Parts: sequence; C-alpha cells; structure tokens
Amino acid sequence: MRQRVQPRTLIICLSLLCLLAVWLSLALGPVSLPLFDTLRAGLRLLGLPIAGDGLQQAEMILGQIRLPRTLLGLAVGAVLALSGVAMQGLFRNPLADPGLVGVAAGAAMGAAVAIVGGSWFGGMPEVLAPYLLSLCAFIGGLGVTALVYRLGRRDGQTNVATMLLAGVAMTALGGAAVGLFSYLADDATLRTLTFWNLGSLNGASYERLWPLLMVATGVALWLPRRARALNALLLGESEARHLGIEVERLKRELVFCTALGVGAAVAAAGLIGFIGLVVPHLVRLLAGPDHRVVLPASLLAGGVLMLFADLAARLLLAPAELPIGIVTAFIGAPFFLFLLIRGRS
Amino acid sequence: MMRRPAALIALCAGFVLSTQALAAELPQRWVSAGGALSEWVTALGGESRLVGVDTTSQHPASLKALPSVGYQRQLSAEGILSLRPDVLVGTEEMGPPPVLAQIRKAGVRVELFSSKAELDAVDQNLKHLGQLLGAEPQATALAAGYRQQLDALQAQVKHAQAGQKAPGVLLLVGHAGAKPLIAGQGTAGDWLLRQAGAHNLAEHQGYKNFSNEALAALDPDVVVFSDRALADEQALQALLKENPALAASRAVREQRLVSLDPTLLVGGLGPRLPATLRSLAATFYPAAKGSFAQ
Repeated sequence: MRQRVQPRTLIICLSLLCLLAVWLSLALGPVSLPLFDTLRAGLRLLGLPIAGDGLQQAEMILGQIRLPRTLLGLAVGAVLALSGVAMQGLFRNPLADPGLVGVAAGAAMGAAVAIVGGSWFGGMPEVLAPYLLSLCAFIGGLGVTALVYRLGRRDGQTNVATMLLAGVAMTALGGAAVGLFSYLADDATLRTLTFWNLGSLNGASYERLWPLLMVATGVALWLPRRARALNALLLGESEARHLGIEVERLKRELVFCTALGVGAAVAAAGLIGFIGLVVPHLVRLLAGPDHRVVLPASLLAGGVLMLFADLAARLLLAPAELPIGIVTAFIGAPFFLFLLIRGRS
Repeated sequence: MMRRPAALIALCAGFVLSTQALAAELPQRWVSAGGALSEWVTALGGESRLVGVDTTSQHPASLKALPSVGYQRQLSAEGILSLRPDVLVGTEEMGPPPVLAQIRKAGVRVELFSSKAELDAVDQNLKHLGQLLGAEPQATALAAGYRQQLDALQAQVKHAQAGQKAPGVLLLVGHAGAKPLIAGQGTAGDWLLRQAGAHNLAEHQGYKNFSNEALAALDPDVVVFSDRALADEQALQALLKENPALAASRAVREQRLVSLDPTLLVGGLGPRLPATLRSLAATFYPAAKGSFAQ
C-alpha cells in the first residue's frame, strides 16, 4: 500500500498553502501594486495607524476588490469541498458530487428564471432587483433538494438509492427547464446565462459575501462534529445504526448542509464544477478515508484550489477574465488523473 | 503691492493655466465596451485615446491590436483599472453592475450610452461622445450627416416602392451555414431589414431556429445571410449545402441572396450602417438600383 501522509502533516501543509494562496490572491492582480504598498494598505485595512498618503489606489483595490474576492473564493471552495465530502459519505460512493441531490440543477433553473424571466416580473422592488439572481438560484437549489429528499423518503426511512435516482431525474428535468429558458432568451441574456453556468468570483462585494460567509461558517463548524458518524456510515447503514448513530438524522443533516452550502455558494459565484467532486477524493488519496481528517483537510484544500484557480482566471487573459469554472476543471482534472495513475502503479 | 506689468503677466498666466486645466479635464485614456461606440469614438478622431476595448469592438480592424477587456457584460474591475483609464464608455448592456460600482469607486468615470436602434439614440450618443472628446462640432456634423443619409434612404425606398411591392425577406444568422437562426420581430436585424424597405417574413420574436420545411414554406424573395464563420461566397455555398430546402425558394432561383456583416447586428447603430442599408435596398429594389448608389 502506498504511504499515507500523516494527518497532522497534511493539515499543517494545507494551512500553510492556504496562507500562501490568500497572500498571493491579495498581492497579485492585473493592477501591479508595489509589494510594500500592498503591505501598508493591508495593515491600514486592519486598522493600524499608518500614514495613508499615496495609498488610496492600493487601499481601494485591496479593500474593495481583492479582499472580498479572496474571502468569496475561500468560502465557496471550502463549502463546495465540504458538501462533496458530505455527499460522498452519504451515498458511500466516491463518484458522488454535490450536484447529485439536484442542488446545482435547481440553482441553475432558478438562475435561468431570474436571468431570462427577470423582465417578466416587472414590478420588482428596487432593493431586491440586484439580488434577484442570487435569491432565485438559492431558492431553486434548496427547493429541488428538498423535493429530492422528500421523494427518497418512505415510511420514515430515507432510501439513498431512490434519492440518487430522484436526483438524476430532477437534474434532467432542471436541464430541460434551463434549455427551455435558453430557447426563450434573446442573444444577450443567453450569454449572461452561459457565463453564469461557468461561475466567476468577479465583482465580489461585501453585501453578497456576508450571507455566504455565515452559511460557510455554519457548515464548516457543523460537519466536522459529525465526522465519527460519517465514519460509522462508511460501514453501512445498519452497522452505523448498531453503533448507535441516528442514521436518519445524519442523512437529513448531510442533505441540509449540502443544500444550504452549495445553494449559497452557487448564489454568490455561479456554478463552479469539479471542486466538490475532486477535492475530497484528493484528500482521501493523500490521507485515507477517516472523516476526522478528510473534513478539515477538504475545507482547506477546497479554499486553496479555488484561490489558485481564481489567480489564473484573473491573470491569464488580463485585462479580460476567464470564467473560473473553466480553470477549476483545467487545473483539477489533469491533477486528479495524475493522482489516479500514480495511485494505481 | 504688485506692479502693473507683473499683475498683467500673472493674469495671462492664470488664463493659460486655466485653459490647460480645462483641456486636462477631458478624459485622455479611454476604455470602450461596445462595438458601435468604439466605431463612433474612432470616427470622432478619438482612436488614439483608446487604451482598451471589449470583444464586440471589431471595427476598424486596428482596434483589435488594443488590449481586450473581455465581453462587455463580463468585465473585470481590476483588469480595467490596470489600464489606468480616465473613462469607461459602454452601453446599458455593460456589466456586471457590481464591477461597474467598483470601477466608479476607484475614481474612473463610467459613461453610459444607449444601444437602442433609434436615430435619437445615435444623436444623443454622438453629442455625449463629442463633449467627452472635446469634438462637439464634429459630433454635431456627424449626427446631422447620419440622419440625412438615413432620411434620404427612406425617401428613396418610398419612391422605389411605388414601382415595386416590398419584397418578402428572411435574415438568416448562421455559423458556417449550419442551422441558421432567423431574425424575428424586435431584433436589430429586423430593424435593418425594415429600414432598407423589406418586409420581414419571420413573425416570431427574437432569433429562432427554424425547420427546413418552414423555411421552404415562407418562400422568401430575397435571403440576407449573416455568417460568423465564413465570408460571402463560401458562406453562401455552405448555407445552400446545409439547407437544401432553400434551393427551391424564389430567392435562390432568382439569385437574390446578399450577405451582411454579422458585427452590424450587435451593440446599437454604428457609422457603417447607412452604406450597408443602401446596398441592401439596392438588392431589394433592383429596378431602382441606381437611386441607392451614393
């Protein structure tokens, strides 16, 4: 068997990588700021009394553009990766990803309704209009997941296999609905929809950040507490029940955390594929299947991968920008294949 | 107390400085996000001030050498700020809104223009651009000339219609001929056809896919095709090959097919429009062809 990385080493390495990613994400961008200015502006943002002359631009770019973007990237990456762990644990299948319970399809459907149908709603209150897209995506994701969960329940028991199939069916249905809306859309809205489906951290602002940060903190605090239960579930449902785990409650919590987390992430940054599927895998390949390690390590690794992908997204074509979904797949998929091949030999 | 000559010099210097200050207030570094707008800026002699354009700015070809800020709806705040612009001009299609807010916060002027297919919109856009470029007389002249050309065209079309019924036309927008979309009501393509005196046979809204049979049933007198991948003759061959139903239509039998530059269909009315409309009208009214030449 291949040598596994010690859990402690892995977590320390990932934490250091995470700090590095945050630093790079704050220090690098299309606008090249002198390193010293970035440092001083950063310290000023932390409230330290440093002379601010000549720092307006650095402060604005750091505080209004890069910092919210970095926080958004961390939160989205962490939540997607954690949800991936939750889903792979729930379905006891390494191919599971957060989209499996229909949350991505529901969010995409909500977004399509908002983007294409936005004008049909007409008398929208001014305050709500900028948030319509996020709100619809969130509600769509949560609604479809709730439906899938409901469909999987019979006689007070949740049948995971039924839920999986219901998720597949709802995903197909969501795809059809998005297709219908694309057909009804005009050229411009169609393009907006396409870009939304590829995700982006562009234009992150604090108002949009807070809801996600709260959800992400909640999920990040809650899921690791259920690590032992997830470990027990690996043995099988009845085995877990014999070990004294309330399996039905656990399933409910996992589905709820995923729906809430992915719903909020998708609402803030659009559909970003791949992280939820691959990050947990990657961590398991490195450190084995113990959820007490996999959960915190996935949280960190998700954030790190997201930030590095975003760096590429904003720097490669500067001053234009790539949708981040493209980058996460381009970075992640080959890396994943490499790990697979190495693991086999 | 200052002596008189010195005071005079100071006064003159003051005037000179203040006019210089006025000139400095005009934005010197421009980023333009909108195809037609970039063309107008160029037409007003502002090309040298452009430091970046979006992906819809394809004309004149020299603009393609400038840094691209991406698609107009998908701008990146830091990307644009890295070009150190004084002003960002674009249509109301420009976005996303949070990015525009960030750009404003960084002290860059964001000027919005109309992308509506209306002459009044062109007038206003040109006036606004003229002020920003300090080229108001040129802008006024350009706007008047534009309006006059389109008005003249309307008169000529009306005249031609006395001798010939308005032809039924379809505008097909395709990619290498395959599965073309038909420009329906309310599209920029529809506006173009009507301006050139055609009757748009498509009655649906927006750009829609059509079945081959429906295409044959509409039996257009003229087909206007706009291909994003191929040019003129090649595009025509591809279109006919991919859509055999067209071959039976009156337009093909009488060889009345004309190509249209697809970049004219996005981003509002640009300076290249009147010439295009005249050539379209000449195809629509072959008997009155001479009157459309200018």
